[in-house]
Amino acid sequence: MSHSAISVENVHLSLGDAAARVHVLRGLDVHIGRGEAVGIVGPSGSGKSTLLMTMAGLERPDEGQVRVAGEDLGRLDEDGLARFRGENVGLVFQSFHLIPNMTAIENVAVPLELTGQPDAFERARAALERVGLSHRLDHYPTALSGGEQQRVALARALVTEPKILFADEPTGNLDGETGKQIIELVFALQREHQATLVLVTHDEGLAARCDRVIAMRDGEIVGGEAGIGRAAE
Amino acid sequence: MTAVTETAGEAAATSPVSRLPLPLRFAARELRGGLRGFAVFIVCIALGVGAIAAVGSISRALVDGISEQGQTILGGDVSVSLVHRELPEGELAGLESLGEVSKIATLRAMARRPDGETQTLVELKAVDDAYPLVGELEVSGADTASGALAATDDTHGLLAEAGFAARLGIEVGDAVEIGNGRFTLSGIIEQEPDRLSDGGIGWGPRAIVSHEGLEASGLVQPGSLLRYTYRVLLDGVASDARVAQVAEGLESEFPDAGWRVRTRDNASPRLKESIDRFSMYLVLVGLTALIVGGVGVANAVTAYVERRREGIATLKSLGASRRVVFLTYLSAILILAAGAILIGLAFGAAAPPIAGLFLRDALPVTNYGPFPGELAKAALYGLLTALAFALWPLGIAREIPARALFQGRAQDQGAWPARWLTVLLAAVVLALCGLAILFAADRFLAAIIVGSAAAIFVALRLVAWGIMAGARALPRSGPLAWRMALTAIHRPGAVTPSAVLSLGLGLTLLVAVAQTDGNLTRQLTVSLPDRAPSFFFLDIPRNAAEDLRQTIEEVAPDATVEEVPMLRGRIVSLEGVPVSEIEPHPDAAWVLRGDRGLTYAETPPGNGEIVAGSWWPENYQGEPLVSFAAELAEQLGLEVGDRVEVNVLGRTIEARIANLRKVEWESLSINFVMVFSPNTFAGAPHMVLATASLSDAEERGGAEARLMREVTRDFPTVTMVRVREALNSINDIVRQLAWAIRGASGFTLLAGIVVLGGALAASHRHRIHDAVILKTLGATRGRLLWTYVLEFGLLGLVTAAFATIAGTIAAWAVVTFVMQLDFVVFPWVALAAATGALAVTIGLGLVGTWRVLGQRPGPWLRNE
Repeated sequence: MSHSAISVENVHLSLGDAAARVHVLRGLDVHIGRGEAVGIVGPSGSGKSTLLMTMAGLERPDEGQVRVAGEDLGRLDEDGLARFRGENVGLVFQSFHLIPNMTAIENVAVPLELTGQPDAFERARAALERVGLSHRLDHYPTALSGGEQQRVALARALVTEPKILFADEPTGNLDGETGKQIIELVFALQREHQATLVLVTHDEGLAARCDRVIAMRDGEIVGGEAGIGRAAE
Repeated sequence: MTAVTETAGEAAATSPVSRLPLPLRFAARELRGGLRGFAVFIVCIALGVGAIAAVGSISRALVDGISEQGQTILGGDVSVSLVHRELPEGELAGLESLGEVSKIATLRAMARRPDGETQTLVELKAVDDAYPLVGELEVSGADTASGALAATDDTHGLLAEAGFAARLGIEVGDAVEIGNGRFTLSGIIEQEPDRLSDGGIGWGPRAIVSHEGLEASGLVQPGSLLRYTYRVLLDGVASDARVAQVAEGLESEFPDAGWRVRTRDNASPRLKESIDRFSMYLVLVGLTALIVGGVGVANAVTAYVERRREGIATLKSLGASRRVVFLTYLSAILILAAGAILIGLAFGAAAPPIAGLFLRDALPVTNYGPFPGELAKAALYGLLTALAFALWPLGIAREIPARALFQGRAQDQGAWPARWLTVLLAAVVLALCGLAILFAADRFLAAIIVGSAAAIFVALRLVAWGIMAGARALPRSGPLAWRMALTAIHRPGAVTPSAVLSLGLGLTLLVAVAQTDGNLTRQLTVSLPDRAPSFFFLDIPRNAAEDLRQTIEEVAPDATVEEVPMLRGRIVSLEGVPVSEIEPHPDAAWVLRGDRGLTYAETPPGNGEIVAGSWWPENYQGEPLVSFAAELAEQLGLEVGDRVEVNVLGRTIEARIANLRKVEWESLSINFVMVFSPNTFAGAPHMVLATASLSDAEERGGAEARLMREVTRDFPTVTMVRVREALNSINDIVRQLAWAIRGASGFTLLAGIVVLGGALAASHRHRIHDAVILKTLGATRGRLLWTYVLEFGLLGLVTAAFATIAGTIAAWAVVTFVMQLDFVVFPWVALAAATGALAVTIGLGLVGTWRVLGQRPGPWLRNE
């Protein structure tokens, strides 16, 4: 499916060792179009985060194929996957995952530095201005509030203008008001960059703002419906 | 770049750091946050590098000092020395054509107060007016050194070290007798420029007289133990090349002179060799400290990688390759190691000036460094050690997957390091061992030591593994404290491997040093007096031997007296091959170097078993025969029937080996390498060498002092060596060397304690967690304390047991094979090691956990 941003076909994945091994993804098929915003919902342990990791090339399926931005992830080695992420993917996590020994601007500049961009810091500053943190450029993560940290993470995820933005419970560690601000920002930036968005969340209301919602349970897709934000592809 | 308002962010973009390659840039950001968690890392590397740099620098300063002052130490550019004979006219003229010549004579003699109350053995030196050709003889109490030696009426002047006056109880201006001569102590020697040229052990204080004074003493007799040395200060420019050329010329022009030629660039070969060899031991000990520190490095890097796990996974999720991650953290570690190495080097560079404060009077140090070569070696050792212990955890960091970021996956272990990294690691370890061997003075010995250290390292790892496996396998029954201690020993992240390795290596080394030292001291002090004689009498004129025997028997009727004729001679050739063309076994080289004592005997000596061939018959009159020391003969490749040519008193004699004899040198009885058949030296003038073994009762009754008094009074030219005193001199040196090695081993133990302390600190959080939980469940502090005592006590005990066994085996090997002495185990060493290990582990363990016991659970649980 050449017009798909993401195509997951018959993906199986088990995690854990021996007796503790759990079949987390059970033969999934997911297709996400370019520029589409897709929410993935489901109870804890349903496999939604694992699906996101598999799509982001952070986890390798035992079986099946994952194509993202036209690239067959199964053909890439560890470093190939890292490069692929650096060039195509932005990631936002529930617990921010800023690098503690780097300032806000350095955190945002890292993906650009990794691809050797000479104007990494200028673009990083612009990205931080875009998320309203121009006054926090040289603060270390520990000196930032949770909402500010997540905004830095968002700026970092989008500074490379990725084709796809993966967000794993981006508001999970934030209070209601801050979470709302962040999610507004996520959607605004996604629209601005015309990026594909995959959003994992517990919050069905939030998921409903996506073009489409995929519901999961026990490693299987149990339902898919159009969201209310925008029309499905 | 467009002009924008400069912000701190802008500064980051334009700072010099931003122009560095990516891994270095990231590494700089890593280190910007401070060095928390790296104290042990830095101390370990700095300690090891510092020890090695200090030893290397001090030894270089000494060796350079000897080389630079070679001319002063040798007393000229070239020297030739002969035993008990002066240089014939022709050869002396040859020397005088080269430049100014000074003649000195050295021997051991007895000095006594005219009232006969006190006497002492002296290292006597007779000098001419030209002495010293180089440097200055500094004296106090006299205006000029040469004037102080002049004769007035019937006495000659004498200069001596302060110890001489103290032993005899005299002052400057007082009279003293040596041999048959009367002398006046005219000044005290403050500095003797050529003191180190002999390089041997001084058995008495130095005294200097004129040649006329020596003549007057009557000590110069055929066969007396006297050495003449002629120093030459070359005319004109004496370049090193010219000096070497002159030395070669002397050897080739006078091939049969029987002298030993030395040049200023090798003024004190024995001292230089001793320094080289001793510094090799110390460097190897320093390297052990560095390797123990390496355990601390590995712990620090592992903990660091663990702390950075999330950051590494984040970098990877942002697109960083394994290469970038590896190089980033490798750079950070290398920058830290470089800093630690610099600290160590600063210490090493400061060592020679500090040591100079203590060595200034004893040894020649002119250049206090720094010595770039020595510092570079130490830095290289430090770098390789840091790499050897950091590469593995860094390799694991390289493999940390990006998915480690996700909830519930934080404990996901990274894969093993890549294969190329294991190969690199092996190369680094090999390079480290290789360099240690390559830089050593004795590579074979160094290889054995490095190999043993590696074996002990591996064995300690196995012991740690065994302890953990044992603790895991033991049934979970018994009191709670016991069960908890067992769990603490084997749980993941336990301090067991660190404690066993770090403490074990240092302790093993200390036990080995202590056992070796104990054996050596025992050999010299405890076991010998049973067999060794009380006195040696040297230079007894043949016609005085009978009277001397009577004197001894009068003073000490129970004494056993042994007498042998004694000549001096040197080996000229073996089986027709000149000595200069023989490359002897290192342990037998001394036999071919210079003059040896020779004797002859009608019957086999009582203390030597014949192991090959047979003794000559009574009144044997055939070709000259010789009995050779068996072990040395083997080392020199000699067998019964081989020919040995010796030069005695200028006459060359060829003898055939009739038998090989086992010689126990350490018995300190009269032993000769070569015992000839009596007809060999028929008519040759010679002296007598005698020993007297006093009974215990006689020794206790003060017969020794009486004998010293009577013999020096009645036989002034006979030199008496009191074995107990001579042994004490040797013993003092051995003891000083042992302290130096113990000091260096102390570094290893210190490094071990730092590593253990670091490992305990790292496990601190874990312990607080456990303690808090247990307290909430009702555990008292006493119970917790008991658990810790059990845990650390067990670790200390097993480590001490291993160290005692391994250290004792190492000492046994050194004593038996290297020193070739009997080995005895000293239980107190084992006991001290065990007590020490227990004290350190329990002590450190409890210091670290005392705070844990005091933690109130509330605040901790709220913060969890």
